[in-house]
Amino acid sequence: MSWQATSLAADDNVATMLGAAASGGRVVVMTPGGELEIIAREAIALCHKIALVDIAQGAPVVKYGDCIGEATAPIRCGAWVHTHNLRSRRARLAEGQAP
Amino acid sequence: MSATTFDGFRRPDGTVGVRNHVLILSVTGLTGPSARRIGRAVPGARVVTTPYGSGLMGEDAIVQDRALIGFGRHPNVAATLVVGASPPKVASIVAAIRASGKPAEPLILDDCGHDAITLTERGTRLAARLSHEASRLRRERADLRDLFVGMECGRSDPSSGLVGNPLVGRVVDAIVALGGRAVFGETIEGRGAEHLLAGRAADPTVAQAIRDAVARRERAAVAAGMDLLGNNPGPTNVAAGLSTIEEKSLGGIAKGGRSPIRGVLDIAQSPSGPGLYVMDAPAYAPESVTGLVAAGAQVVLFTTGVGNSFVSALAPTIKISGNPEASARLKEQLDFDASPVFERRESLESAASRLLALVLEVASGTATWGEILDEGEEVISRLAPAL
Repeated sequence: MSWQATSLAADDNVATMLGAAASGGRVVVMTPGGELEIIAREAIALCHKIALVDIAQGAPVVKYGDCIGEATAPIRCGAWVHTHNLRSRRARLAEGQAP
Repeated sequence: MSATTFDGFRRPDGTVGVRNHVLILSVTGLTGPSARRIGRAVPGARVVTTPYGSGLMGEDAIVQDRALIGFGRHPNVAATLVVGASPPKVASIVAAIRASGKPAEPLILDDCGHDAITLTERGTRLAARLSHEASRLRRERADLRDLFVGMECGRSDPSSGLVGNPLVGRVVDAIVALGGRAVFGETIEGRGAEHLLAGRAADPTVAQAIRDAVARRERAAVAAGMDLLGNNPGPTNVAAGLSTIEEKSLGGIAKGGRSPIRGVLDIAQSPSGPGLYVMDAPAYAPESVTGLVAAGAQVVLFTTGVGNSFVSALAPTIKISGNPEASARLKEQLDFDASPVFERRESLESAASRLLALVLEVASGTATWGEILDEGEEVISRLAPAL
């Protein structure tokens, strides 16, 4: 078996790395619908997230089949997804801001 | 997932035990030491004690009684010796346990001239007779409709949200799909994902109850001076790849699977029907597990990252970790090794089939490490000041 990342629900638009990805490296993703192959646009560490598709600025980032926040910048397929381009909707609600 | 049956003890109230315990239940702090002496005199009996008694008020008194009665009525318990100081208190608990059709015998300090030695002697004889009766019961074939599992996580790490909890969630989905019951607690874990949890509710009333439960606990924490959202996920979480509070919470509640949530239970409250439930209860593992077991969960699925030795005294507790280092280190604590999933040697689906098979095997009598090492305890939550 040779996958490097896994996604847990069919509509997830990110996967979690189970190994480290090198920039430009081939990443096989185990998804509920079977294996998917993408190219990492940058180095991504173990347990960090990789985008499975292009995600528009402001669009929901989906993991476990649920929205874990929104993209704060356009995210390209194969990019690292973390606090630099993803922010919580819930924490902003808690601070009294509009979602 | 192929196997769906196990062999259990059919009880008069229609539930099925996966164990056949005789329970020495001390319902007041005065009688705990005697209950433990009786337990030592009758090997195999399970001892559960509470350090509290008269003086509990309001919700505390309700939760204590509901939990103590829940232990006696628990499917894994064949018969109960109820040990206490005051005749009315013991009588009411004995009556509530007997209403399930199972034997319960009173043993009261007041009737023994407040002499703990006399209490121990009488209790030893009573417990020996209950054990003899219980030993005559035999296992019969049962299926997943007869199974009620509790889910818990303790001392989590990045493998928990990625492997351990989703794995348990898959097994729970399979059990619920075939008519079984499941419950998970740790209300505060839902913060940040309560809107998502509420979105899985079976109806709007349950959705509102979920939002209210999380909000109540969050308010209580804030009132006590804790900051739950401001720095969450914390720096260690962020370094480990968690970006938002929603993501962290979803990793925790993934152990509940994806079935519709049928209701929000109070501590130690039994579900009214099959399906998935959440329990509004403290998150600390001993209190949380005890609430699930007092509600009737026969087996606990307990995920951990780096290890957690707590298990229930009455329900076999299956310890699961996806952390390769912990799996190698804790061979006599972890019952299920999920690290092949973390190390990309096994798919989640394959591991879920293995785990469901282990659940059924344990339900049929295979011992967990926690049972072998006698780590079991029950700890009823305290909520407020007493008299």
